[in-house]
Amino acid sequence: MTVVETLLVFLVAPLAVYVLLWALTYLPGGRKRQGVQYKPGQSWDHEPVWYEPQPANAPTHAAGEGDTQAVGSSLYGETAAIGSGDGAGPGHGSHGATAITAGAPTPANVGPLGGARGTW
Amino acid sequence: MTRVLHAEPHDTGTVDTAPNRADEGYDTVFSYRELARLDEALTMSSRETGLRFTLYIGDLGKQTRLRAEELHARGGDPANSVLLAVSPGQRVIEVVTGPSAARRLPDRACALAVLSMTNSFASGDLVGGVVNGLRQLSDQAGHPRLARDH
Repeated sequence: MTVVETLLVFLVAPLAVYVLLWALTYLPGGRKRQGVQYKPGQSWDHEPVWYEPQPANAPTHAAGEGDTQAVGSSLYGETAAIGSGDGAGPGHGSHGATAITAGAPTPANVGPLGGARGTW
Repeated sequence: MTRVLHAEPHDTGTVDTAPNRADEGYDTVFSYRELARLDEALTMSSRETGLRFTLYIGDLGKQTRLRAEELHARGGDPANSVLLAVSPGQRVIEVVTGPSAARRLPDRACALAVLSMTNSFASGDLVGGVVNGLRQLSDQAGHPRLARDH
C-alpha cells in the first residue's frame, strides 16, 4: 500500500462519507415542510380560518364497494385506489371551503355563555 | 369541514375543469397531515359528545372575548356548540361554550384544557395543543346518552 492509497482509504473515504451525510442533512431543499412553523411571539398575518366538524348525517357518499375499508376511511369516503374514483375527493362539493355569508344572522341571545381564556 | 371566512367566489371551472383539492392551495397555514389531525379531532370529539366543537384561528381584535362570543353566536347551534378561538398573533385563546354545552363543560374544565393548550402553544405546537385540548374537553363532556342516564 503506497502512501497515496493509505491516505485515500483512511482519510478521504471517511471524509467523503461525512460530507455526504452533512450535505443530505443541511443543504437547502432537503427538508420541505408544508405550512408555517409557528413560533410564539411572531405575528400572525394569515387569513382567519374556521374549522368545523364533519356533518354526522351527510357523508360524501356511503361506503360501498370500491371504497377502502381502512380505519377512519368511513369519515372521508375515500376510494380504494387513487385514480379509480370519479375524482370526487373529500373536498368535493359542499364539503369544500365555503364562505360564511356576509348577512349572518345577528347574534341571538341564547343564554349565559361559559368558557375560559388563556394567554401564553 | 373547513370554512374560510372571507372566501372570494371567483371560480368559473366546470365539474371537469374545476381545480381539485391539491391545486387550490388555499390553506398554507397547516400541512395536510396537520389538517387531517385537526379534522379528526374536531369530528370525533363532536360525535362522541354530541356537542359541536369548532376551531377558529385568526385575529380576535382588541376585545378578544367579545369577538369570540360574537363568532360563537354566528356559528350553527350556538347553545350546543363549543368554540375554540385561537389568536396566535395576540397569544390568546378563548373557549366559548353555549348554555347547554356549559352544563356539561364547566368553566373549570375549560380552564384546565386551556392551560394544557397554552403549554403546547408556548412551545410552538399549535396543532398538538388543539388536539390535546379537544381530547380533554370531550373526555370531560362525556357521552350524551351516559349523561342522560344519571
